[in-house]
Amino acid sequence: MTAPATTDTEPDDVVATPDEGGRAPARRYGLAALAIMVVVGLLLGYAGGLLTPRLVRPGDSSVEAGFARDMTTHHAQAVEMSLIAYRSATLPEVRQIAVDIATGQQGEIGAMQTWLREWGLSPTGSNPPMSWMSDGATVKDGLMPGMATPQQMTSLRDAKGIEVDRQFLKLMYDHHLGGIHMIDAALGETDNAEVVRVAQTMKNTQQIELNNLRQLQAQAKG
Amino acid sequence: MSISTPGGPERRPTVVSTGKKPAAGRPASGAKAGTGKPAATPRAGGKGPRKPVTPVKVSQGRAWGPIALFVAVGVLAAGIIGYGAWASFQGAKPWDKKANAIDGIVNIRKTDKASLEYESHKSGPLTYKYSPPVGGVHNAAWQNCMGDVYDAPIANEHAVHSLEHGAVWVTYRPDLPKDQVDKLAGKVRGVEKMLMSPYEGLDKPISLQAWGYQLKVDNADDSRVDEFIKDLRVNASVEGPTALCNQGVTATGTTPHELQQQPPTQ
Repeated sequence: MTAPATTDTEPDDVVATPDEGGRAPARRYGLAALAIMVVVGLLLGYAGGLLTPRLVRPGDSSVEAGFARDMTTHHAQAVEMSLIAYRSATLPEVRQIAVDIATGQQGEIGAMQTWLREWGLSPTGSNPPMSWMSDGATVKDGLMPGMATPQQMTSLRDAKGIEVDRQFLKLMYDHHLGGIHMIDAALGETDNAEVVRVAQTMKNTQQIELNNLRQLQAQAKG
Repeated sequence: MSISTPGGPERRPTVVSTGKKPAAGRPASGAKAGTGKPAATPRAGGKGPRKPVTPVKVSQGRAWGPIALFVAVGVLAAGIIGYGAWASFQGAKPWDKKANAIDGIVNIRKTDKASLEYESHKSGPLTYKYSPPVGGVHNAAWQNCMGDVYDAPIANEHAVHSLEHGAVWVTYRPDLPKDQVDKLAGKVRGVEKMLMSPYEGLDKPISLQAWGYQLKVDNADDSRVDEFIKDLRVNASVEGPTALCNQGVTATGTTPHELQQQPPTQ
């Protein structure tokens, strides 16, 4: 783009006054300076664009990271319970909802683990579980809200017949209540659009499932 | 490229300073070197040995050739960059904005949200406000929606559950010509979160459903069919993108199937 200007100044060279305030040099310096400023400005803008996401993404002790890690743990147990019910429950509707919960929550684990990778964070945190929740939710024996104890899991694995349905429905009901409690805490503290979107979907899904689980509990009473 | 200077194509424009001219005692050679570089770019090949040639005075000669070329290249570059930016902006538009832009689509999430809400799964036949239905209460079991092409009508009560999981349900009037049916089936077969079935009593030859959305068209060649599928498949899921489409009911018939009790697998 400087070529026309350059060619244009050439005829002026002949008539240019030898004082330093000549129009042509000024114009030439001005053009060069302008070009350099534009290039530097573009580079700065580009660098800013590259660096900004790195500076604003959730950190290692953020609510978002805590939620992704702890909800992964929470979901993992739901998947285990659901697959037991899918394999051994008596009522077909129970097996149906079980496989739905298992695959749905396993998929959400995948999404949350992807967030952590994209944020450059480890799937394992250095803070104790639930420490991101400001309402001081308690962890009992390493268990987050609504999680089943090892004894309850053993009992579910050993159950036979309709007892599988009954135990699964109760455990999953409590599990969802605890899960919604954790989701609400995350929703209250994050403004990360992606986390909000996924957490809201989780909450809606689990609330509808609570109704369905309650209905099935009535059915399983026999 | 040819630069139109009088004197034939082998005459290079001589006004480009080579630094060999006595420059009227200006210490501007540094600046000239700076600006001289870009100035040299429009000169294509044929950079022979540089001979100091006296500039030909053309009447206030602006070299229009290079200017025109620069402008052309600039406009082209701006066009390419602009189009790329526009296309990526379009591609990044949220799915619901794209869906709402489809001509003739009915957005029940906007117009009648209450009809989509429900308490919990229900067994047995259910009544629906829209035909074919686009949401609301449904059976505990979903219709298998792994690109299944059903050759007979299926139960609304299962299909609505598939919609909840993010499936697009393609329905057509049973009298739709076979080549049209085949064309639709080609868009469905083998694609997860898709299912297709004939539907009695349709007021249009073809109707597409997603959870809370409906589009009726006359012809399988209508480009809006592909748009609807592209914008709403998976996106319209109420339970996120990984809701299940397998392990569903694969039987046809408009009465909802009560799930069969099977002996648990060992």
